[in-house]
Amino acid sequence: MAFKLPGSVYSPSLIESVIYETGQYLDWYREAKVHKTVGAKAAEEPSFTGETVQTIEAWFEGKKPSVEGIEGLVAHLRGLNLPVVHVTMAALPNHSQRASLVDWFRAQTNPDVLVAFVTDRNLGGGVMVRTPNHVFDYSWRQRLVDGRDKLAGIIKNV
Amino acid sequence: MNLVIYILAGVIGILAILTLVQSWQLSRVKGRLAKLLLQPKPISVSEPTAAELEARLKTAYEAKIVEATATFGEDLKGTSTRLSEQVSRLTTSVIEEELDSYQKTLEEVRHTAVEAMDKIRTAVEQQRVELRQGMEADLAAERAKLSAKFDTKMGDIVASYIAESLGGGVDLGAQMQFIMASLEAHKDEIKKDLTSGV
Repeated sequence: MAFKLPGSVYSPSLIESVIYETGQYLDWYREAKVHKTVGAKAAEEPSFTGETVQTIEAWFEGKKPSVEGIEGLVAHLRGLNLPVVHVTMAALPNHSQRASLVDWFRAQTNPDVLVAFVTDRNLGGGVMVRTPNHVFDYSWRQRLVDGRDKLAGIIKNV
Repeated sequence: MNLVIYILAGVIGILAILTLVQSWQLSRVKGRLAKLLLQPKPISVSEPTAAELEARLKTAYEAKIVEATATFGEDLKGTSTRLSEQVSRLTTSVIEEELDSYQKTLEEVRHTAVEAMDKIRTAVEQQRVELRQGMEADLAAERAKLSAKFDTKMGDIVASYIAESLGGGVDLGAQMQFIMASLEAHKDEIKKDLTSGV
């Protein structure tokens, strides 16, 4: 069975968050099962983020969850070794902008790629993409630096 | 037979005796002759004869001395003249040769010195030109380096200033088109790294 992460889980930090919450869900589920076995009233199911809920649902594919299944999910998530691309911009993108960028990376480069968003005001604008082996700098600062000769010429002519 | 032998013996004896006698006489004569030779017998000459002989001898001796002196004088004069000529000739020739040699040596030394001076002058001039060219090249390189450094620094300063100024009012919504276009333009490079870098 090839498990595919939901589109909303696109970054390493989100995976960490999902792993943490899935662990909590496992603890709750185990306790709830014990309570049910002994006929006691189980604690209320804690609320989880949408990413965690979507991940668990995708993992069980509509089947009933089990302790072994949840443990398997946690182990699977911990064992993931997916390519990560760090996208640095001058400001933090909003939800739709992130979705656009993640969709673009997964569609154009690697469907399993994780995207980590980083903010650096010094870029001025544009984007800087760091892949495992390279840095692709398309920021405005880099453009200005690359065009320093033109800048020097302009300054000289002033 | 015996008689003949006796006669012959007698004759031999007589001959022997005669031989002995003659030998004795011969030895005596030799002794006298030796004595005579050892002791020359003085010649006795009369006084007038001796005076005359002495006068003649003196005259002849003086004449011979005068003659020898004249001859010697003439020889000496000739020899002296020839010797002077020879010395003069030799001296002149030697001096001329030495002077020629000295002049040649001087000429060679002067020629060598001139050549050396020319070489030194050429080398100095070449070195001066090279030094000047090197200094000019170094100066130009240093000027270009400083200019480039200044431009770089100035570019960095201006770029940082602009980026810093823009950073305060970033509108990603307005930039998204540019960002997506940039990613789209380089998607092959990014994809290549993401597919091969894991």
